[in-house]
Amino acid sequence: MTWVNVVTQGVLIGGFYALFACGLSLMFGVMKVINLAHGDMAVVAAYAAVFLAPKLHVSQLWSFLVIVPLFALVGYLVQRTLFQRAIDRDPFTTLLVTFGLSVVIENLLLEIYSANGQSVSIGALIAKSWQVNSVIYVSYVSLVVLAVAVAVLAVLQLFLSKTGSGRLIRAVSDDHEAAQLCGANYKHVFGIAAAIAFATVALAGIAYGMTTEFMPTSGGINLLYAFEAVVIGGLGSLWGTLAGGVGIGVAQEIGAHINPAYQILAGNLLFLAVLAVRPRGLFGKRTSLNE
Amino acid sequence: MSNEGRSNEGSGELTIPGWGSVEFGRRLGLKALGATAAVGGLAALTGASAASAATKSKVIKIGYVTPKTGALADFAGPDNFVLSLVRGSSVFSKGMTIGGTKYQFEITVKDSQSNPSIASQVTTQLIQSTGVDIIVTSSAPETTIPVSAVCEGAHIPCVSTVCPWEAWWAGVDSKNSIGPTGNAVGSTPQYCTMFFFGVPQFVLCFLPMWEKIRARTNANTVYAAMFPNDSDGNAFAAAWPPTLGAISAATKGPKWTEVFGGAYTDGTSDYSTMIETFKTGSGGQSCDFFINAPLPPDFFTFWTQASQQGWRPKLATVAKVMLFPTDVYALGNLSNNVATDCWFSPNAPYRSSLTGMTAYDFAARYQTVTKSQWVQSMGSTYSLFEIVVEALKKVRNPHDRQAVANALREVNYDGMCGPLNFSAHTNPAKGIGIINPVGIQWKPGSTKLVGHKKWAWSPYVVDNTLNPHIPLQASLEPTNG
Repeated sequence: MTWVNVVTQGVLIGGFYALFACGLSLMFGVMKVINLAHGDMAVVAAYAAVFLAPKLHVSQLWSFLVIVPLFALVGYLVQRTLFQRAIDRDPFTTLLVTFGLSVVIENLLLEIYSANGQSVSIGALIAKSWQVNSVIYVSYVSLVVLAVAVAVLAVLQLFLSKTGSGRLIRAVSDDHEAAQLCGANYKHVFGIAAAIAFATVALAGIAYGMTTEFMPTSGGINLLYAFEAVVIGGLGSLWGTLAGGVGIGVAQEIGAHINPAYQILAGNLLFLAVLAVRPRGLFGKRTSLNE
Repeated sequence: MSNEGRSNEGSGELTIPGWGSVEFGRRLGLKALGATAAVGGLAALTGASAASAATKSKVIKIGYVTPKTGALADFAGPDNFVLSLVRGSSVFSKGMTIGGTKYQFEITVKDSQSNPSIASQVTTQLIQSTGVDIIVTSSAPETTIPVSAVCEGAHIPCVSTVCPWEAWWAGVDSKNSIGPTGNAVGSTPQYCTMFFFGVPQFVLCFLPMWEKIRARTNANTVYAAMFPNDSDGNAFAAAWPPTLGAISAATKGPKWTEVFGGAYTDGTSDYSTMIETFKTGSGGQSCDFFINAPLPPDFFTFWTQASQQGWRPKLATVAKVMLFPTDVYALGNLSNNVATDCWFSPNAPYRSSLTGMTAYDFAARYQTVTKSQWVQSMGSTYSLFEIVVEALKKVRNPHDRQAVANALREVNYDGMCGPLNFSAHTNPAKGIGIINPVGIQWKPGSTKLVGHKKWAWSPYVVDNTLNPHIPLQASLEPTNG
């Protein structure tokens, strides 16, 4: 039963990692952009939930209703202006631009909100859990986050494979010049993809803010896990990202069960092992989003 | 005066066996060694010329290094207010007559950014460019140790606070260590001094609370220990069990059983395994008590998950977290009756040695001026400047660094943090002043507290065994009834 609990908790935390990694996976899959400011954007969303939502008379619990669409809009604008200009030059510039953005965001947050820890308040819900048996307790918040992660990834996968816009995104992702020749406005399509990615990062950031105390500098560590989840799952594969997130979560829990000192290490070892044995990841294909 | 640090066996009753000899500050020590080697040597060279230029100056320059930004910024929250009060006091605004000459004061503040290398860098700037006579510094080993190490190398008098003395001692001089009885082994720094407390005071502060709750709720003697794999965590992991054992035995207390959660990594996002370990406990008994020294975000995650998974210790006494309201507000109701240590309280009968302002007025004024809740680091920061003035009273030339440093190590006065004696025979070493913390619990606020201002959460003094001067404000309650 202990091992069942280890795996259960691993899957729960893995859901969170997957939700966090989803936007990163999409941005890379479509635009080939590795967004180093991904973690910081999630932290911005968490700050928005704490400080912006109450001003709009929305409780922090329901703040995602406002912040997710807002982030989608911001995502579109940032992609069309900042990121697109960088993409037009070369991939290295993109990396530098997102890195710079990360530094700017951290310092702005520090300047505006100081280094004080904050959390997204959801009242007594944070302490509640579903007791399965004497050993296994499933936190409602983690369960909801896992469900949201699976739902978001499923909807995205359906969107990409079944709808016209989804096909357009895949076409642009495969070869944006060819798609442009066929009349697709690839810059607009990139904007849409960035909007979706930003929306998911907002969800992840708010979920993160609910489960822990965050500061302006909290983005980095989450970027690392998100990056690992994407690489383990296979660059650009959405289901792979879910598998990657859950893989890291379970590996961490198994590591912790052996010795709490090995918790973080175990996740990183899995990442290393996958890189060594299967560098393109579990579900990685040459044509990334095309399944 | 021998160079050997004095052991605190001098305090008589207690010998505290085998702790902290290795982990304490070894890494901090290395870090500090690097800092001294890299910048301290340089500072010593150029500092000499700055010193000769400053010798005739009618201005006493004080440098203050503090983590205004970064992870430790909570500690520096009251800095601006405290500095405005210090600058407004008559001695700082009108100047001080030393050896027949009137001197003005100039305070330069530098941000350590909560980063040890930035801390040593800005200290070097203060010494080389600003030409300071004295440096004061506060808040956590990450700031105080590198600053002290640079000052010691550059022969600049320095006072630091808010850092367990063991970590500071072993960090300032890499040859220093903590002996088998918790005593200071090595050579006493010649220019650096500090005041705060150490692991024995944490034990003496928390143990009476454990005993009271144990007597009242029939709790067991099994406690959960959550110490991360970082310098503070390793120091606590090594020092806590033997110190607790020795102090409990000396007071004819029970034998406590530790359940160690394992040396986890800072930033871990899931603690279910550790919580399971604490629930399982030892000898068939779940852990009823809880001690830790984590980073604030990690405590938030741990404590909410402990609640979700149904581990509710009868009393949680935490170190390093829940010192400031921000941590408490972030946790909301889960903060209720979590206990921690407190080194400055508006409830204390202490006064400023600069202006005579009471601790109560100090905190009340802070709340009126800044519109935010008082925090305990305000008292220790204020005392840094009191101590400088106390030392300057005893010298004939404020630019004579050796004389100022010697005077600092003899400071013995009553101020905002209470009676403080840098040369008491009970001190771990000369130049290390010990203040005695009291136990506090966070509870919903009340208009009866300082300034008659009700905050959502306030700290209440619930145990004053270690410092009976500070009256109790509420009764100690189990964290989970």
